[in-house]
Amino acid sequence: MRRSHPIGWGRWVRVRLRFSKLGKVRFVGHRDVARLFERALRKSGFPAAYSEGFNPRMRMSFGLALPTCYESEAEYLDLPIAPGGWDGDELLLVGTRQGERVSVEQVARLLSEGLPSGIDVTAAELQERGGPSLQEVITSCTWSFDLPGQDPAAIAERIDRSLAADVLIGERTRKGTRVSDDIRPAVLGLALEGASERGPVVVAELSASQRVVRPSELLTALAPGAELGVARRRHQWIDIDGARREPMPPSTSMSSPAVAGK
Amino acid sequence: MTSLWSRLEPLLPRVEKPARYIGCEGGAIVPDHRADSTSWLLTYPDTYEIGLPNQGLQILYELLNERNDAVAERSYAPWVDLERELRSAGLPLFSVDTHRPAGDFDIIAFNLSAELVYTNVLNCIDLAGVPVRATDRADDAPLIGAGGHCAYNPEPLADFVDFFVMGDGEEVISDITDVVGAWRRAGKRPGTRETVLRELSKVAGVYVPAMYSVSYDGPRLVSVEPRYSDVPAVVQKRTVADLGAWPYPRTPLVPLTEVVHDRLQVEVFRGCTRGCRFCQAGMITRPVRERPAEQVREMISNGLARSGYDEVSLTSLSTADFSGIEDVVQGTMDDPAHCGRVSIALPSLRVDAFTVGLASQVSRARRTGLTFAPEAGSWRMRQIINKLITEEDLYGAVRSAYSEGWHRMKLYFLTGLPSEMDEDTLGIADLAANCVEIGREFTRKASVTVSLGGFVPKPHTPFQWFGQNSGDELMRKVNLVREATRRNPRVNLKWHAPEATTAEGITSRGDRRIGGVIEYVWRRGGVFQEWSEHFDLGLWEEAMAANGLSMDWYVYRHRTEDEVLPWDHIHAGLHKDFLWQDWQDALAGYGIEDCRWTPCYDCGACTEYGIEHVVASPSPPNGGSQGTGQNLSTGGFVPVELRPRAAVGGAT
Repeated sequence: MRRSHPIGWGRWVRVRLRFSKLGKVRFVGHRDVARLFERALRKSGFPAAYSEGFNPRMRMSFGLALPTCYESEAEYLDLPIAPGGWDGDELLLVGTRQGERVSVEQVARLLSEGLPSGIDVTAAELQERGGPSLQEVITSCTWSFDLPGQDPAAIAERIDRSLAADVLIGERTRKGTRVSDDIRPAVLGLALEGASERGPVVVAELSASQRVVRPSELLTALAPGAELGVARRRHQWIDIDGARREPMPPSTSMSSPAVAGK
Repeated sequence: MTSLWSRLEPLLPRVEKPARYIGCEGGAIVPDHRADSTSWLLTYPDTYEIGLPNQGLQILYELLNERNDAVAERSYAPWVDLERELRSAGLPLFSVDTHRPAGDFDIIAFNLSAELVYTNVLNCIDLAGVPVRATDRADDAPLIGAGGHCAYNPEPLADFVDFFVMGDGEEVISDITDVVGAWRRAGKRPGTRETVLRELSKVAGVYVPAMYSVSYDGPRLVSVEPRYSDVPAVVQKRTVADLGAWPYPRTPLVPLTEVVHDRLQVEVFRGCTRGCRFCQAGMITRPVRERPAEQVREMISNGLARSGYDEVSLTSLSTADFSGIEDVVQGTMDDPAHCGRVSIALPSLRVDAFTVGLASQVSRARRTGLTFAPEAGSWRMRQIINKLITEEDLYGAVRSAYSEGWHRMKLYFLTGLPSEMDEDTLGIADLAANCVEIGREFTRKASVTVSLGGFVPKPHTPFQWFGQNSGDELMRKVNLVREATRRNPRVNLKWHAPEATTAEGITSRGDRRIGGVIEYVWRRGGVFQEWSEHFDLGLWEEAMAANGLSMDWYVYRHRTEDEVLPWDHIHAGLHKDFLWQDWQDALAGYGIEDCRWTPCYDCGACTEYGIEHVVASPSPPNGGSQGTGQNLSTGGFVPVELRPRAAVGGAT
């Protein structure tokens, strides 16, 4: 077999994936999503790297965990490749697909096929050694969420008031108890975008650099006593030389995610 | 009516583990409900995590959806938080596949795998918007069905369930679909519910309690008799003769959230003839029907490729007894498609059939947990319960496991067995300590976990006449073992709460009058009784008293030979006189050997139905004493002459 690099050393060390999580699968928790990927990876024949030791596990690292019940168009997953798992720009599949050579886009398609409807891989690329982990580099996230049964005009007014305020009290549950703190510094953007069939839709860019601030923490300020409708992560942002970028944009060659499972 | 999803969705962020309610599993079917299709809602009356892996439910789900005149969806008991939300939003029990209201189905069929779920059955019926008592149901209300092992004593649920199914479900569900389908197509006209129930009662394997009248003399049951001449006096179980003809589930369900048994399961055989006298499963599922080894291999490789699992569990009542076990295990381990990363779990292991070879094969990938079930602490006791494994068998298996790198294992025992004396109970502590000593020859980390369960006598077993130990007596025995293992840090003792054992005893051998008790407990909020945070023995005792029933009569009393038992009109194949004789043999301390490899005792399971054991090998697999009490460690030879029978087909 032709090999342009010696086994175990070389250019590509991992595949980075971008995926979406939309519809009913928003209720699947983060740990379960990891297990779904493990099974989809085994089905796809991806040459995954495994941890050492008594109980070897498939290695994978997610970016920021997405809270259960939230949708997303911008999740990321880094998949280390096993030594000898690639040749040129192609991946060498294992298991039932032993002997097949595929591009990283084809791997992404195989993975989407093996994932439940609602979870779709929307971009994939081979990455070289080095570079910080996803969790370290994300500075902020853009979210959208609707507020069922709320009056759009009232929400618009509260958004303006919140942006004008010096201090904005946000509430969240931490280890079973309610905590409140000032989240104004974490609110990088806040706007009324329109309305869904349930109610007004708000878009917010919230900081992730200190801790990940969630849309639910804005409820006290925007609609006290209301429940969050469907919330969706639209972007995760990194900072490259002062410019706000995505770790990887959705691929134009891959079909845009269908909102399946609805 | 259409999907309830849009009304359910806003409730889900408020409840624990909402992924249990969304469906979308790998292998799930979105059925096409047509005007002429008979619809089944297969309901597991416990949480999704417990119910989803249930193979019986998955098999029926697939078989029904393969028919072009039937559809099947699934439902699981919603946890108490969602139930509260559903009731306050005025929403009913729903299917997870298309989120249809349960009341829209023609049949709501429950899987009964444990007695303590009975109050959940009532809760699910109520949550479906159907009256809990069968007599209160409108003509066009869904038919409430039930099957599974506990259905072999249907009487405690007789007031709530329209029809029960005895035995293997693969064939009988088609017969039921035919009858119910005709009723549906005729429009379920007023006055026809009684007619369809009577038709169902004529289907072999189906028991319709409303077709029978029960008479009592004081506390004593006098008779359960059919009300009409065309209704069978005795209901016979259904048995699938050839498991190889039913390679199901073909597309096992792969859940999106963690469940118990979260791995591929492949059933390697059904039935067991070891003859353990406490074991209802072994008695009612006879004879042994093995799946061809080649089909097992296929189901493993297809199932792994389809699901992406890296673990497969070979299920049966005693998997090491499977004729093809070593080949299947080795073949799976050697298959290059699995990259050496697939592990095999053997959940029910007889210690006398677990060899070094098997241990080394299953330890090649990740080591799965090992559980051995000696069941009793002394040879005397094991003869009484007919678990004919010697101490040497146990030590041999334990040695095999430790030598292949295991550090700990679980040993399962029962206490409260017939004629159990304190030295038998204390023998449990000795066995455990000896196992740890063997382990220490191999590793300093050796330990064992002893799991101690209280014995509940079950219908259709030789011990059905035995009076159950009281909760206090069970606790005393648990404490004996606790005291004896307290100073050994390598023996961890776990025990099943004696209170739950007592409540199980109420329903296990109850008659129709126990229905009032179940309803009383349910009406006072006693759901999820298998969950310690919800279980309340006080409520059960209060319910017994409120119904004028005695704990002593139903639970603690020895039954007599001439007594009419509440399940006498249900036939699992076993002759009552065979069971009585086996009960007498037990009390005399006689064991009987496995009839797969030794002459027939004519228990009735084969002869009654003209079927035979289907076993690939005429001799036991290697190792141990194989239930014969003899040393068969070399394997391959038959200890006693095989008596050829008038064969109906298949191997003997």
